[in-house]
Amino acid sequence: MKKLTPLAALTVSVCLSSLAMADDVYDYGEYLSGECTTCHRLTGEYNGIPGIVGLEEADFIEALTDYASGERENQAMASVAKSLDKEMMEALARYFGAQEVADEEIEEQGAAEAEPENKD
Amino acid sequence: MKLTRREFGVLAGAVGVGAASAKVSFASGGGKVVVIGGGAGGATVARYLKKDAPELDITLVEVQKQYTTCFYSNLYLGGYRTLDSITHSYSKLSDEYGVNVVHALATGVDGNAKTVTLETGDVLSYDKLVLSPGIDFRWDLIEGYGPEAAQVMPHAYKAGVQTQILKQQLEAMPAGGTVVIAPPPNPFRCPPGPYERGCMIANYLQKNKPGSKLLILDSKDKHSKMALFQDAYNNIYGDIVEWVAAEFTDGGVKSVNTADMTVTTGDGEVTKVDVANIIPGQKAGLIAEIAGCTNDSGWCPIVPETFESRLVPDVHVLGDASIAAAMPKSGFSANSQAKVVANAVRASLTGSKAFPPRFRNTCWSLISDDNGVKVGASYKAGEEKVEKVDGFISKVGEDDAVREQTFAEANGWYDAITADMFG
Repeated sequence: MKKLTPLAALTVSVCLSSLAMADDVYDYGEYLSGECTTCHRLTGEYNGIPGIVGLEEADFIEALTDYASGERENQAMASVAKSLDKEMMEALARYFGAQEVADEEIEEQGAAEAEPENKD
Repeated sequence: MKLTRREFGVLAGAVGVGAASAKVSFASGGGKVVVIGGGAGGATVARYLKKDAPELDITLVEVQKQYTTCFYSNLYLGGYRTLDSITHSYSKLSDEYGVNVVHALATGVDGNAKTVTLETGDVLSYDKLVLSPGIDFRWDLIEGYGPEAAQVMPHAYKAGVQTQILKQQLEAMPAGGTVVIAPPPNPFRCPPGPYERGCMIANYLQKNKPGSKLLILDSKDKHSKMALFQDAYNNIYGDIVEWVAAEFTDGGVKSVNTADMTVTTGDGEVTKVDVANIIPGQKAGLIAEIAGCTNDSGWCPIVPETFESRLVPDVHVLGDASIAAAMPKSGFSANSQAKVVANAVRASLTGSKAFPPRFRNTCWSLISDDNGVKVGASYKAGEEKVEKVDGFISKVGEDDAVREQTFAEANGWYDAITADMFG
């Protein structure tokens, strides 16, 4: 491999370190996701429990914050959301946001179910 | 642009970025893990280890060729599920994940030599051993009750054939018959289990066997989700179910006679029954005792952070067999603990990051048609034991829509957790 110029080397190392940080966030999200996949399918479908795959990260975090505050009502999710700090929510949003919904049918179903039911 | 992890890894490798990892010496190749028990705990550990560290050699020892979940087996008794719909194959674990699934009984563990012996005579060596053997029964607690008696008065507390026996007996019983459930003393597998069973059997009797009675002779005075189940027994199944606290029978069922089909409680009262579901007191699955991991209580003390055995090095014990209180003994708990164990074992063998442990449990129970309730909590690893952080429980008098949604959730959970276990 050709030797990098000092500027190029610096650029590469800065890019790689931010990617390394991004990978750390993803890895953390992947570890934490084990708690979610007990109920939420990685295929993304809704089956009495909403799909959480492939969502915009901001929407994912907002849903969790709403459960923690009681804006959205579900006792199990309130307990889950309260156990997550900001860093954990971001990591989960990153990880689940990067996963792909298994097929088109599930994606359409998910979009229909995405509207929260209990906002007052 | 989102870089996939694989793309990042290739890029990182090209310029030599990457954490150096401490190397451990292994029994062979990339590290060998033997997991004994292929239920909610063991299957989950095997899958997570292979998923996250495919270079590890993972052997899952489980005597049954298919796994019928004990959770949801009450719904089969109630007629809401077929046995087939709650029975799972190990083929994805072996074919897609590369877990070496061995269908044999583990009969010996040598913690010094780090070997597991199977009934076949085969010997497996390990770097790390994970025990998730579930429960075995304290046959000594009820006179006249043992493995043979269980063919006539099934416990149905290990799912599969035992559950089928109980279901067939209920189907064969004439209308106007008497069923008894004898719930076990604490601690036992699935605290709401016997009481959900009470609802499911009562529901079946109500629909199919008019005039029949269900007598629940408890060995305790209190039980899980008590307000919710007692509300059901009184208000939904009032003319079928009678639940009797231990204080009124001097300790619940103390002896049985399978020839006469009678059960006798501590106060000497003899009850003739048509169907008897006797659930004896419990202890850790036998292999845990053989391995030297149990204490005088009959259960396995563990370090909360990693579920490592406090008694035998390089062994982790999880699920029902472990002393994990405040967590209840449940499939959900076993699956939760399994991920903590997989993370710890993987870190130990590969030098990967050991994240702080997280624990959770939620137990759903079905009361009647579209009428589900739940109880749950989050937990953390304390110094001495696992500690509860917060909890929640369904409320008596909730409206039908909430109960229907709770049951819908339970069904979603069932599909998700079994995919999480078996792939």
